[in-house]
Amino acid sequence: MTALQTEAALPDTVQAVPPAKKKPRVIGTTAWYVVALFICAVMVVPLLWMITIGLKSRTAVFDIPPKLLPHEWTWSNFINGPKAIHFPKLLLNSFVITGLSVIGGVLTAMMAGYALARLRFPGRKTWFYLFVGSMLLPGVVGLIPLFQMYKSIGWYDTWLPLIVPAFLGGNPLFIFLARQYFLAIPYSIDEAAKIDGAGHLRIFVSVMLPLTRPAWLTMAILAFQASWNDYLNPLVYLYSSGKWPLSVGMASFISPFAGKTPDWSYYMATNLLYMLPPLIIFFAAQRYFIQGLGALGSTNQK
Amino acid sequence: MNSVSPGGFTTKRRSRGGMSRNAGSDVRAAYLFIAPAVIGFLVFVGYPLIRSFYLALTKYNGLTDPVFVGLGNFRRLFTTDPAFWPALRATGYLVLLYVPLSLILGLALAMFCNQRFAGVRIVRTLAYLPVVLPAVATITLWKFMLDPQVGLLNTILDRLGLPTSLWLQSSSTSMPSVVLVMLWGVGGTMIIFLAALQAVPTELYEAARVDGAGPWSVFFRITMPMISPIMLLQVILQTTAALQTFNQPKILTNGGPGFSTKVLMLSIYENGFPTLGRIPQLGYASAQVWVLFVIIIAVIALTAKFSSLWTYSDSTSD
Repeated sequence: MTALQTEAALPDTVQAVPPAKKKPRVIGTTAWYVVALFICAVMVVPLLWMITIGLKSRTAVFDIPPKLLPHEWTWSNFINGPKAIHFPKLLLNSFVITGLSVIGGVLTAMMAGYALARLRFPGRKTWFYLFVGSMLLPGVVGLIPLFQMYKSIGWYDTWLPLIVPAFLGGNPLFIFLARQYFLAIPYSIDEAAKIDGAGHLRIFVSVMLPLTRPAWLTMAILAFQASWNDYLNPLVYLYSSGKWPLSVGMASFISPFAGKTPDWSYYMATNLLYMLPPLIIFFAAQRYFIQGLGALGSTNQK
Repeated sequence: MNSVSPGGFTTKRRSRGGMSRNAGSDVRAAYLFIAPAVIGFLVFVGYPLIRSFYLALTKYNGLTDPVFVGLGNFRRLFTTDPAFWPALRATGYLVLLYVPLSLILGLALAMFCNQRFAGVRIVRTLAYLPVVLPAVATITLWKFMLDPQVGLLNTILDRLGLPTSLWLQSSSTSMPSVVLVMLWGVGGTMIIFLAALQAVPTELYEAARVDGAGPWSVFFRITMPMISPIMLLQVILQTTAALQTFNQPKILTNGGPGFSTKVLMLSIYENGFPTLGRIPQLGYASAQVWVLFVIIIAVIALTAKFSSLWTYSDSTSD
């Protein structure tokens, strides 16, 4: 809470009250809402504009001066646009790649976090620091050697380079988050389970996983986002367009082929569909997004 | 979070009690649980790090065996390659433009969203929204937004009677335009600052208010010192990310016009993974990777070294 906040901690009805009583604050309130409106507009207007382009006819997009709303609403763009890039195929590719890498990334990070936080073993600290240190390692360092490695074992132009690393604790941030979360769970719970004769696998699966639900949901969302949005890796590792996920497919949609101008109305209609899964997840699970990154902010404070 | 875990304490007590059987099973279980991550670390972090250093010292086209050339790649980079210095300059320009703006706007937005007004949650959600959307989707959207003829930005500027711009199509405005697109995702910076702001104890602000401190001195004497560790983290994260920017220049301009937005990452990509018909220069690209890597390490080291000058650490919390 900031000083401004305490100052503004008047009832929300303050805007409806005549501005006679406490003038400076009311000006503050008005100013706040003006700025808020501006911020919202900056964030939302491009998306609304995208939808209007998706609804324009293919030639109306290039009208000069441009019109903000379409003359005639071309709903068929939402059918023909996706068809033009084989959207269903690419969507399925994206879902398979993303789904598997979410499962792998979350599961192996939770396992590593469990070991680092709750089990004593030689090298525990060393591995923790190595994982945390690798968070700062730029991804580009691995790009060329890994590309050659995948090529030599026949993984080039397959989905394996996009999925297998996730099953090997691919994201050190997740390991870090999992460890922090596991540290906060009271140790009496494990003790009780051990007395009941539960092994580590049992404790992990039936005690820890239910208790750490917010943590792995957060990670699952972040992993989904990372994989769904990833562009560089599939661009480098996948050659055949039939294997592309949506990110590469969408980007190739607008790169001009042999002088042909890209079809913006088709593109924007399809783009909306491409955005939908992350959008739905965001609005359904907003607090996990905020929590996950918030955790990064607050855990590092000490 | 406390690094001295109560678990360590319990285990110690237990082993003192002579239950070494449990300690042994702990170790075995730990290795099993951590095995995937350890293998992943060795294969996807350790191996490529060493291998890429070796490749940086070779001439390698990916088909025939690498030929050791010593520092030849670096010599070529720094002395004869006409594209290297422009790439370095473009990368530096991007970082110097993006990082300060992202931090200032991110913090301002976080402070703006850390106030109790009806609807603040909507603002917070919408400000974070672009971060959630796929990079390719938003970048291509902005590519069209910035189109000088039919784009929304020039349309709006024109209607308001303001001067329009060529945006991505002129070499003087292309990089600022790329940064503008990146800043649309400032919600990512905001959300971390917001968590830091919310962790500042309210009593500090109340005490300051009682003492009659004005908003500026509250900001510089309470807010900034209290969030300075997060500021440090943000400076490091943002700078290392900005140095590796790829998607925006690749999709928006593909490096153009001229060399104006051809950042180091794009140059690495083009040398290592060229369009069909050209021979990949993997050794040369690896040398570029190492230049970038050394810059990143230097930035982190310098930021951390001088952090004691401007970050505040609460000695009682150690």
